[in-house]
Amino acid sequence: MDEKKYAQLEQQTSPKTPLLRNVIFAFLTGGTICLIGQFIALFYMTFFDFTERTASNPTVATMVFFSMLLTGFGQYKKIGQLGGAGSAVPITGFGNAVISAAIEHKSEGYVLGVGGNMFKLAGAVILFGVFSAFVVALIKTILVKFGVISW
Amino acid sequence: MKKLEGMHIRKLGLAIVVLVMLTGCSENGIRIHNDSSENARKAEEVFIKDKDLTAVVTVFHDKDLLTGVTLKTFSRFKKEKIEKELKKKLEELYPELDITVSADGKIWMEANKLINSDHEKDLGEKIDKLKLLLKEET
Repeated sequence: MDEKKYAQLEQQTSPKTPLLRNVIFAFLTGGTICLIGQFIALFYMTFFDFTERTASNPTVATMVFFSMLLTGFGQYKKIGQLGGAGSAVPITGFGNAVISAAIEHKSEGYVLGVGGNMFKLAGAVILFGVFSAFVVALIKTILVKFGVISW
Repeated sequence: MKKLEGMHIRKLGLAIVVLVMLTGCSENGIRIHNDSSENARKAEEVFIKDKDLTAVVTVFHDKDLLTGVTLKTFSRFKKEKIEKELKKKLEELYPELDITVSADGKIWMEANKLINSDHEKDLGEKIDKLKLLLKEET
């Protein structure tokens, strides 16, 4: 059996990906998470002195906290199974990535296991988030200096 | 078990969708509170003419004019531009007033509260506080 034949066989026997179903569930799951976030933002605006613009920071923190709790109690993987990318792309996926890595490496000890591996997945998010923010800020600074746009 | 879980979440999703649709467009209109010597009628005409606005709350107080507006969904993308244009129009009508226009939901909410509460005494203080909130950068 050569490679081509094997690939053909593999394609025939493996179950078909329910693409449309996955897309719809990802859309609904991501949308629901964002809806919850919207309610949290509204909560901060109603009961604290946050405007629509400044409420985003505490909302993000709260959403990450919630997803961390859900991951710890083993509930977030159920959402992940149902929603796929819809549960990974919003900020809640970040909290999930941090805590699931921490749980996974708990057996290796608290310092080198949990501490060393906690940001194994989320580290890439932080690094490239900071880096892209730096690049965008640099471009904007240059454009402002040349007078193309204003702050 | 897996199937059941999916069903459960689907039902919940449906309930949420219905809830959102029902509460979607509840409040609109123009509310104006005027305890200054200015004529508020001119401002009302500006608001009626503007097609991007869905609801307006305006408070005239001494030398302050605080306006909170809510926009149509797709107009929200050019929120700042609409704020600026509206402010310009109001400045032409009331050149001696200190005008604040915001499409931020918080301002709209608080302006509504100001009108509902009828605390005439510290109205100016509260308006100043809202202006400070708008300048907050963090």
